[in-house]
Amino acid sequence: MRIPLVGLLFSALVLTACSNKPAEVPRAGTLTPVELANHPPITPLPDPELQGGHVGRAPRRITVAQLKASILTVSGRQWSQIDNLAASLGKADYALVNAESVEPNLVFAKFLEDGAREVCTGAAAADLTTPNAADRILSPEVPASITDLSKIDAATAQKNLVYLSTRIWGQPLAGAELETWTSAFTTMAARAQAANKKREAWGAICIAMMTDPRFITY
Amino acid sequence: MKKDQLQLERRNFLKASAAFGGASLLGALPFRAFAQAANLAPADRCFVFLYFSGGWDVLLSLDPRDPNIFTPDRVSETRILPGYSLLSNDSSFPTSVVTPAERPGAGPSNIKFGPAIGRLANHYDQMCVIRGINMTTVAHEVGFRYFLTGKEPNGSAARGSSTATEIVGQMKPTNPVPSIAYGIESYNDRYPGAANALRVSRANDLILTLSPSPTQLDSEIEKQLVNLRGQTVTCEADAYDTRGLVGQYREARSQMATVLGNSLNKSFTYADVPTDPPALNAERAAVRAAYGLTLPINYDSAAGRAAMVATALKKGISQCVSMNLVGGLDTHFGTQLTHATNQRTAWNAIGDLVSDLRSSPHPSGGNFMDHTTFLVFSEFSRTPLINGTGGRDHHISSSALLMGAGIKHNTVYGKAGDIGMGPGLVNRSTGLPDPKGMVILPEDVIATVLASAKLDYAITRTEPLKAILT
Repeated sequence: MRIPLVGLLFSALVLTACSNKPAEVPRAGTLTPVELANHPPITPLPDPELQGGHVGRAPRRITVAQLKASILTVSGRQWSQIDNLAASLGKADYALVNAESVEPNLVFAKFLEDGAREVCTGAAAADLTTPNAADRILSPEVPASITDLSKIDAATAQKNLVYLSTRIWGQPLAGAELETWTSAFTTMAARAQAANKKREAWGAICIAMMTDPRFITY
Repeated sequence: MKKDQLQLERRNFLKASAAFGGASLLGALPFRAFAQAANLAPADRCFVFLYFSGGWDVLLSLDPRDPNIFTPDRVSETRILPGYSLLSNDSSFPTSVVTPAERPGAGPSNIKFGPAIGRLANHYDQMCVIRGINMTTVAHEVGFRYFLTGKEPNGSAARGSSTATEIVGQMKPTNPVPSIAYGIESYNDRYPGAANALRVSRANDLILTLSPSPTQLDSEIEKQLVNLRGQTVTCEADAYDTRGLVGQYREARSQMATVLGNSLNKSFTYADVPTDPPALNAERAAVRAAYGLTLPINYDSAAGRAAMVATALKKGISQCVSMNLVGGLDTHFGTQLTHATNQRTAWNAIGDLVSDLRSSPHPSGGNFMDHTTFLVFSEFSRTPLINGTGGRDHHISSSALLMGAGIKHNTVYGKAGDIGMGPGLVNRSTGLPDPKGMVILPEDVIATVLASAKLDYAITRTEPLKAILT
């Protein structure tokens, strides 16, 4: 029953906020709600605890068109194969197939992985040659003066991870999960620096985020 | 434990270890499951669903009519025109009903075929032809979705799971890709993501799905990526999974890891690769010979697709393969010869596939045909009369072909009417025409397929055609 209580609290807050305004007196010619004595009973929203923990519509996998737009939005570039693979990713051709498939199946998982690898490493490589940090796609929070990836401190890494997760998922990393990602990035960055594969540091983080369920569901 | 067993398990363990280290896309897959999956073994029961797209002319294959009886002179009476004489421009087509030559030890054929049946006729002793099925529709997508699920679609939207999904969901095979759907739709309405088919629209996409990603990272970074993905999901991420969508996606990623770890893409490559072991290239040469494939391989031909079915089953990659085997059958305006040629291409490919499976021993005994059930279908058939433009239109009555395990062989069940080939009424216990009998619907056929492997067929809400079950 947590959600109804939260709802009541929220309603109370809204009412409180509204009460700061002077009460409006109905003017002539305006409509006011009418109490309907014989109105049929309204079915309240179901209790989430009795609905397997959910209420409202089920989450959905993004369509191929949404994926295409999302990839361009988050990485600044398009996956070169998306049109070639669209049919197998689930896009309807409205000739032989007239229903879009949004199953998160093996083919979708594999091709999304391929696509994420292509665009993320491409974007990370482009970032390395972009002198102004603010113009970078994947690492705008990392000062341009830091060229040694292993020298990126945890606070800077976290700031950039929060930025990237907001960019890719629409929600920022936080708490223990942020710590986990920071730790992973630190290890990857050190390896990328040592192996002289700098594009793979933020590139790998981008791949992980683009193949995370939070990127493909809404 | 025997030494041989120990060696085998050690080999599997090493194979799995190598795959675990080498594959770049591993998700949070438990290692034990991975090691198990690395041991590819054919399923004890396999299923093949082959779809002829566009609506086939059953007069040319599964439900022939004698042109000496159903003559043009009697067409106003019979409303049936076999049209076999229109194939005479191609001398390779018979112009009469085909009775297969007797196969040694199998007895004479009880089944007669149309002139487009091709090499498949040689396997009459594995077949059960169901005739006079009432499709209840002449709309393409409704008809094929009806046959895919065994449930009449809601409008044109499929209801329920595909039969292949139902089978995989019930049998839970250990094959790395339990079900492949090639050029055909697949549905899953009640099973976990592992029952989802690997659904591709082209052969190249199938091979791409099974191949490592073109962009590989440093091996240490790959390991970190695997570790990161294996972390516990947060409450926020978990909230998206209240109805299983994320779980399905994670299972798909686990399947992906298994597939890549086993280098399954090599199994579906039929051209020689100089860097591959000679034994693998010899195997590829044998596949090319069996299916008449020439270089460069046309994987999207009927023969190429049939070869892929055999590979998936024989290598233990899949338990169920559903495939759109041939198109070009919606010949409202085409000639009889065009339609017959397209059909025969597919029947020949199936004939080669059955020959291959019959000559391949199954690890559990017998040959692969003894362990495989086929369902060959189309969305409906074509009108028994030829229209004003030389083609045939959509006809509500159709036939289907069952073959292999669990099915009574060398049998015909049901009958389309001798006037206008309408859906037949049959005595369900004998399959013989009976004016007081019942119509045969697609769900009856699907229930029979499920029952052939002792699976639960309750979803079809009908009884199987018990007369054709063994």
